[in-house]
Amino acid sequence: MLLVPRQLRRAGITGDVPYYGGRFTPAQAYAASHPRTARAPTAAAAPSRPDPIAALGHLLETGVITRQEYDDLRARVAP
Amino acid sequence: MTAPVQVLVVGFDEPSFSGEVLAELTRLKLAGVVRLLDVLLVSRDEDGVFETMAPPPGADPDLGRVAVEILGLAEGPGGAPETVEGETWSLDDAVPPGSAAAVALLEHTWAEPLVESIRNAGGRPLDETWLAPADVERLRAITVRS
Repeated sequence: MLLVPRQLRRAGITGDVPYYGGRFTPAQAYAASHPRTARAPTAAAAPSRPDPIAALGHLLETGVITRQEYDDLRARVAP
Repeated sequence: MTAPVQVLVVGFDEPSFSGEVLAELTRLKLAGVVRLLDVLLVSRDEDGVFETMAPPPGADPDLGRVAVEILGLAEGPGGAPETVEGETWSLDDAVPPGSAAAVALLEHTWAEPLVESIRNAGGRPLDETWLAPADVERLRAITVRS
Protein backbone atom coordinates (compact mmCIF):
# COMPACT_ATOMS: atom_id res chain seq x y z
CA MET A 1 0.00 0.00 0.00
CA LEU A 2 1.32 3.45 -0.86
CA LEU A 3 1.93 5.68 2.12
CA VAL A 4 1.95 9.47 2.19
CA PRO A 5 3.82 10.57 5.32
CA ARG A 6 1.93 12.96 7.52
CA GLN A 7 3.59 16.01 9.10
CA LEU A 8 3.60 15.49 12.84
CA ARG A 9 4.41 17.95 15.59
CA ARG A 10 7.73 17.16 17.23
CA ALA A 11 7.57 16.64 20.98
CA GLY A 12 9.77 15.50 23.81
CA ILE A 13 9.26 12.86 26.43
CA THR A 14 8.11 15.48 28.94
CA GLY A 15 5.68 17.08 26.51
CA ASP A 16 5.58 19.74 23.84
CA VAL A 17 8.84 21.65 23.92
CA PRO A 18 8.10 25.21 22.79
CA TYR A 19 10.70 25.50 20.06
CA TYR A 20 11.44 28.79 18.31
CA GLY A 21 13.10 28.27 14.98
CA GLY A 22 14.15 24.87 16.16
CA ARG A 23 15.68 26.11 19.38
CA PHE A 24 14.68 28.03 22.47
CA THR A 25 16.73 31.21 22.85
CA PRO A 26 18.33 31.83 26.26
CA ALA A 27 16.12 34.88 26.71
CA GLN A 28 13.01 32.86 26.01
CA ALA A 29 14.16 30.09 28.30
CA TYR A 30 14.72 32.65 31.06
CA ALA A 31 11.36 34.28 30.47
CA ALA A 32 9.58 30.94 30.46
CA SER A 33 11.20 29.87 33.70
CA HIS A 34 10.52 33.22 35.41
CA PRO A 35 6.80 33.92 35.28
CA ARG A 36 5.65 37.55 35.31
CA THR A 37 4.60 37.30 38.95
CA ALA A 38 8.21 36.64 39.92
CA ARG A 39 9.64 39.66 38.12
CA ALA A 40 11.17 42.74 39.78
CA PRO A 41 8.75 45.08 41.56
CA THR A 42 6.78 47.31 39.25
CA ALA A 43 6.09 51.01 39.66
CA ALA A 44 3.06 50.17 41.76
CA ALA A 45 5.35 48.50 44.26
CA ALA A 46 7.79 51.43 44.42
CA PRO A 47 6.58 52.72 47.84
CA SER A 48 8.14 49.63 49.40
CA ARG A 49 11.65 50.95 48.58
CA PRO A 50 13.78 51.74 51.66
CA ASP A 51 13.72 55.29 52.96
CA PRO A 52 16.99 56.94 51.73
CA ILE A 53 17.29 59.10 54.81
CA ALA A 54 16.98 56.13 57.10
CA ALA A 55 19.50 54.29 54.95
CA LEU A 56 21.95 57.20 55.26
CA GLY A 57 21.42 57.19 59.02
CA HIS A 58 22.25 53.50 59.09
CA LEU A 59 25.45 54.10 57.10
CA LEU A 60 26.45 56.86 59.53
CA GLU A 61 25.72 54.76 62.61
CA THR A 62 27.68 51.83 61.30
CA GLY A 63 30.70 53.97 60.41
CA VAL A 64 30.48 53.52 56.68
CA ILE A 65 30.30 57.27 56.10
CA THR A 66 31.46 60.25 58.14
CA ARG A 67 29.25 62.97 59.59
CA GLN A 68 30.33 65.34 56.82
CA GLU A 69 29.53 62.79 54.13
CA TYR A 70 26.21 62.19 55.81
CA ASP A 71 25.40 65.88 55.79
CA ASP A 72 26.43 66.23 52.11
CA LEU A 73 24.33 63.26 51.04
CA ARG A 74 21.46 64.20 53.30
CA ALA A 75 21.29 67.59 51.58
CA ARG A 76 20.87 65.88 48.19
CA VAL A 77 17.77 63.90 49.11
CA ALA A 78 14.36 65.32 49.66
CA PRO A 79 13.55 66.27 53.28
CA MET B 1 -3.04 6.58 27.39
CA THR B 2 -1.00 9.36 29.01
CA ALA B 3 2.52 7.97 28.86
CA PRO B 4 4.79 9.50 26.20
CA VAL B 5 5.02 7.58 22.95
CA GLN B 6 8.26 7.51 21.00
CA VAL B 7 8.57 6.90 17.29
CA LEU B 8 11.70 4.87 16.62
CA VAL B 9 12.72 4.69 12.96
CA VAL B 10 15.39 2.13 12.20
CA GLY B 11 16.90 1.53 8.78
CA PHE B 12 17.56 -2.03 7.69
CA ASP B 13 19.12 -3.68 4.67
CA GLU B 14 16.49 -6.37 5.06
CA PRO B 15 13.51 -4.69 6.69
CA SER B 16 12.45 -6.62 9.75
CA PHE B 17 12.32 -6.37 13.50
CA SER B 18 14.56 -9.25 14.46
CA GLY B 19 13.66 -11.79 17.12
CA GLU B 20 16.40 -10.34 19.29
CA VAL B 21 14.87 -6.87 19.24
CA LEU B 22 11.39 -8.21 19.92
CA ALA B 23 12.71 -10.32 22.81
CA GLU B 24 14.29 -7.24 24.38
CA LEU B 25 11.11 -5.22 23.92
CA THR B 26 9.14 -8.04 25.56
CA ARG B 27 11.55 -8.00 28.50
CA LEU B 28 11.16 -4.23 28.86
CA LYS B 29 7.38 -4.55 28.71
CA LEU B 30 7.39 -7.13 31.49
CA ALA B 31 9.60 -4.80 33.53
CA GLY B 32 7.08 -1.97 33.08
CA VAL B 33 9.54 0.12 31.11
CA VAL B 34 8.17 0.32 27.55
CA ARG B 35 5.30 -1.16 25.58
CA LEU B 36 5.54 -1.82 21.87
CA LEU B 37 2.30 -0.43 20.47
CA ASP B 38 2.91 -1.19 16.81
CA VAL B 39 5.58 -1.77 14.18
CA LEU B 40 5.35 -0.69 10.56
CA LEU B 41 7.70 -1.84 7.84
CA VAL B 42 8.12 0.59 4.97
CA SER B 43 10.21 0.80 1.83
CA ARG B 44 11.00 3.96 -0.11
CA ASP B 45 11.94 3.88 -3.76
CA GLU B 46 14.47 6.11 -5.46
CA ASP B 47 11.70 8.56 -6.39
CA GLY B 48 10.86 9.01 -2.72
CA VAL B 49 7.57 7.10 -2.81
CA PHE B 50 6.75 5.13 0.36
CA GLU B 51 5.11 1.76 0.38
CA THR B 52 4.09 -0.31 3.38
CA MET B 53 5.41 -3.84 3.55
CA ALA B 54 3.61 -6.96 4.65
CA PRO B 55 4.24 -8.09 8.23
CA PRO B 56 6.83 -10.85 8.61
CA PRO B 57 5.52 -14.44 8.38
CA GLY B 58 3.88 -15.48 11.63
CA ALA B 59 3.33 -11.91 12.81
CA ASP B 60 -0.07 -10.40 13.53
CA PRO B 61 -1.58 -9.54 10.11
CA ASP B 62 -2.78 -6.23 11.60
CA LEU B 63 0.79 -5.25 12.46
CA GLY B 64 1.43 -1.71 11.25
CA ARG B 65 -2.23 -0.72 10.92
CA VAL B 66 -2.16 1.74 13.84
CA ALA B 67 1.20 3.19 12.79
CA VAL B 68 -0.13 3.84 9.29
CA GLU B 69 -3.02 5.83 10.74
CA ILE B 70 -0.72 7.85 12.98
CA LEU B 71 2.21 8.45 10.66
CA GLY B 72 0.65 8.57 7.25
CA LEU B 73 -2.30 9.17 5.07
CA ALA B 74 -3.38 6.08 3.20
CA GLU B 75 -3.53 6.42 -0.58
CA GLY B 76 -6.56 8.16 -1.90
CA PRO B 77 -7.78 10.72 0.71
CA GLY B 78 -9.02 13.98 -0.74
CA GLY B 79 -8.51 17.49 0.51
CA ALA B 80 -5.46 19.50 1.40
CA PRO B 81 -3.08 18.25 4.08
CA GLU B 82 -3.70 19.65 7.52
CA THR B 83 -1.44 22.42 8.79
CA VAL B 84 0.65 21.61 11.85
CA GLU B 85 2.21 24.45 13.84
CA GLY B 86 5.58 24.31 15.55
CA GLU B 87 8.51 22.10 14.68
CA THR B 88 7.37 19.14 12.63
CA TRP B 89 8.80 15.96 11.21
CA SER B 90 7.65 13.12 9.02
CA LEU B 91 8.93 9.85 7.65
CA ASP B 92 10.03 11.93 4.65
CA ASP B 93 12.74 13.43 6.87
CA ALA B 94 13.84 10.16 8.39
CA VAL B 95 13.93 7.53 5.67
CA PRO B 96 16.27 8.14 2.71
CA PRO B 97 15.07 7.27 -0.80
CA GLY B 98 16.10 3.79 -1.91
CA SER B 99 15.96 2.27 1.57
CA ALA B 100 13.68 0.49 4.01
CA ALA B 101 12.85 0.99 7.64
CA ALA B 102 11.03 -0.43 10.61
CA VAL B 103 9.00 2.19 12.43
CA ALA B 104 8.09 1.35 16.01
CA LEU B 105 5.68 3.12 18.32
CA LEU B 106 6.99 2.71 21.86
CA GLU B 107 4.99 3.78 24.88
CA HIS B 108 7.36 4.78 27.70
CA THR B 109 5.26 3.58 30.60
CA TRP B 110 8.07 4.30 33.07
CA ALA B 111 7.84 8.02 32.27
CA GLU B 112 4.15 8.47 33.00
CA PRO B 113 4.55 9.14 36.76
CA LEU B 114 7.53 11.42 36.07
CA VAL B 115 5.62 13.51 33.54
CA GLU B 116 2.68 13.69 35.91
CA SER B 117 4.85 14.83 38.81
CA ILE B 118 6.51 17.51 36.66
CA ARG B 119 3.08 18.75 35.61
CA ASN B 120 1.81 18.76 39.21
CA ALA B 121 4.86 20.76 40.28
CA GLY B 122 4.12 23.40 37.65
CA GLY B 123 7.18 22.51 35.58
CA ARG B 124 7.28 23.29 31.89
CA PRO B 125 9.47 21.46 29.39
CA LEU B 126 12.11 23.82 28.05
CA ASP B 127 14.37 21.40 26.28
CA GLU B 128 15.38 17.79 26.24
CA THR B 129 17.81 15.82 24.19
CA TRP B 130 20.12 12.83 24.35
CA LEU B 131 23.83 13.06 25.04
CA ALA B 132 25.97 12.12 22.06
CA PRO B 133 28.03 8.93 22.47
CA ALA B 134 31.23 10.96 22.89
CA ASP B 135 29.64 12.96 25.70
CA VAL B 136 28.36 9.76 27.29
CA GLU B 137 31.96 8.55 27.29
CA ARG B 138 33.04 11.79 28.99
CA LEU B 139 30.28 11.33 31.53
CA ARG B 140 31.38 7.77 32.18
CA ALA B 141 34.96 8.91 32.73
CA ILE B 142 33.80 11.61 35.15
CA THR B 143 31.63 9.24 37.18
CA VAL B 144 34.41 6.66 37.35
CA ARG B 145 36.80 9.33 38.69
CA SER B 146 34.43 10.48 41.43
